Amino acid sequence: MHGIRAERLTKRYGATVAVDDLSFTAQPGVITGFLGPNGAGKSTTLRMLTGLTRPTSGAITIGGRRLADLDDPARTVGALLDARAVHPHRTAAQHLLAFAQAAGLDRRRVGEVLELVGLGAAGDRRAGEFSLGMQQRLGIATALLGDPGVLVLDEPLNGLDPEGIRWLRTLLRDLAREGRTILFSSHLMSEMELTAHHLVVVGRGRLIAEATLDDFVRAHTTRAVTVRAGSPDRLGGALARAGVDFAAQPDSSLLVTGADAPTVGRIAAAEGLALDELSPVRESLEDVFLRLTHEATDYEGVAA
Amino acid sequence: MSVLRSEWTKLRSVRSTWIAAASAVAAGVALSVLGVSDLLGTPPSELSAGWDPTAESLKGFLFAQLVIGMLGALAITPEYATGMIGTSLVFVPSRRRLLAAKTAVVAAVGLATALVTTLLSFAVVQLMVRGADLPAAGLGDPGVARALLGGAAYLTLVALLGLAVGALVRSATSSLALLVGALLLVPALGPGLPGVLGDWFGRFWPITAGQAAYAVVPVDGALAPGPGILLLAGAAVAAGLAAQLVFRRRDI
Repeated sequence: MHGIRAERLTKRYGATVAVDDLSFTAQPGVITGFLGPNGAGKSTTLRMLTGLTRPTSGAITIGGRRLADLDDPARTVGALLDARAVHPHRTAAQHLLAFAQAAGLDRRRVGEVLELVGLGAAGDRRAGEFSLGMQQRLGIATALLGDPGVLVLDEPLNGLDPEGIRWLRTLLRDLAREGRTILFSSHLMSEMELTAHHLVVVGRGRLIAEATLDDFVRAHTTRAVTVRAGSPDRLGGALARAGVDFAAQPDSSLLVTGADAPTVGRIAAAEGLALDELSPVRESLEDVFLRLTHEATDYEGVAA
Repeated sequence: MSVLRSEWTKLRSVRSTWIAAASAVAAGVALSVLGVSDLLGTPPSELSAGWDPTAESLKGFLFAQLVIGMLGALAITPEYATGMIGTSLVFVPSRRRLLAAKTAVVAAVGLATALVTTLLSFAVVQLMVRGADLPAAGLGDPGVARALLGGAAYLTLVALLGLAVGALVRSATSSLALLVGALLLVPALGPGLPGVLGDWFGRFWPITAGQAAYAVVPVDGALAPGPGILLLAGAAVAAGLAAQLVFRRRDI
């Protein structure tokens, strides 16, 4: 099975740099999450991967070859770039048939992939009547038509209901277990956390981090301790004297970032303070992601 | 072959194709009937010297050509409107092959629609003309079969022009605007331009030139049928090549 490799991939639109010197890999047998805020260049990267957009410089290849140079593209790579990319008047089965024919696939594949994505009963319905979730399923069916070893999915979880999200996770895991390369993008860390093995995090077109999910968590999550005592001031004073960093929280607890829970407990005991709460907290991956991409974010919402 | 089959599936599985084909036939026949019904009360002696019952029966092309041109454009513009063009190019990364397949299916559907429009318009109008005791044309008359084939070729080339325009501008509304300009406005207004310019548009504008192909009685100042349809074919080929070039170079 082929992997995906981006090497110094760059795309400029006039003065705007959509993708900036981006290098990463996605390996066979692994679900690689391609993560970044909106406007980070994820879709542009995937469009360069599928040959729709030409890189300004650098390359992104499948098993070392550009998509256009593959001997049998449809059996090598399947892509879902935009779930809404269906003609509203065409039925799901006709949509799939057109692509099955283009790839020289047996027309039985149409029924098979419809069953696989849970649209077995909806094959004769017009794609325009589909909910976004059903369109995502149709898009995934299209990507799976040629039974490809490489799957590229742009925001495949968008519009899926919780059951659909669980279904897709299971499907992706099964496909990865068969040795396929899976690269899927999302702007939501919470989705990645439960699905991806490997993370490629981008912001403003640049690589921010590339690591396994575990390494990413270890490297980037800061450990902290929430501590609460009857007298926050005395506790604060004791911590300050011990040279431990902390921040007072609105609920009169203290968030300690400079020491672990046992150390905080000992400092409090030495001061003769009874603690109401002492609990380690781990920064959520969502917070890590937001922090990491903070500088690289083009469009930031204003906190309510 | 596989890409051809795929493009045929795409074209036949949307209503707009069949609506366009049916409208082209209906509009072509209806407008021809309307055009000739004015003349039905005329005594044969008062008919103009250039009475050409064949060309008269194809007056409905004026509107039919626009619908057939849009049929061509609609073979590609919805792929841009929906974004499906991206999926198409993942399955068929060769843009040359994809557009060539679209060209082939548009030519086939265009030709079928053109033949039905031409033959039905001719048959209905000749029946009416004969019923009014005016000189009608028959398939065996000199030049008539050639004119009917010329008419079908004309409409088919317009379908291919429509596809090229659609591939170039990537939007149905822009395609419609361009086709109205090229098929209706320029032929109507161009000859009115002063001096050489007006003469050029009156003779050599490819659409105007191509219309000579379905006249039996030569029109004053127009090209002969053969050179006329060749000029239109040349324009269609040029537009097709331009579309290929742009389609292959441009980011989707």
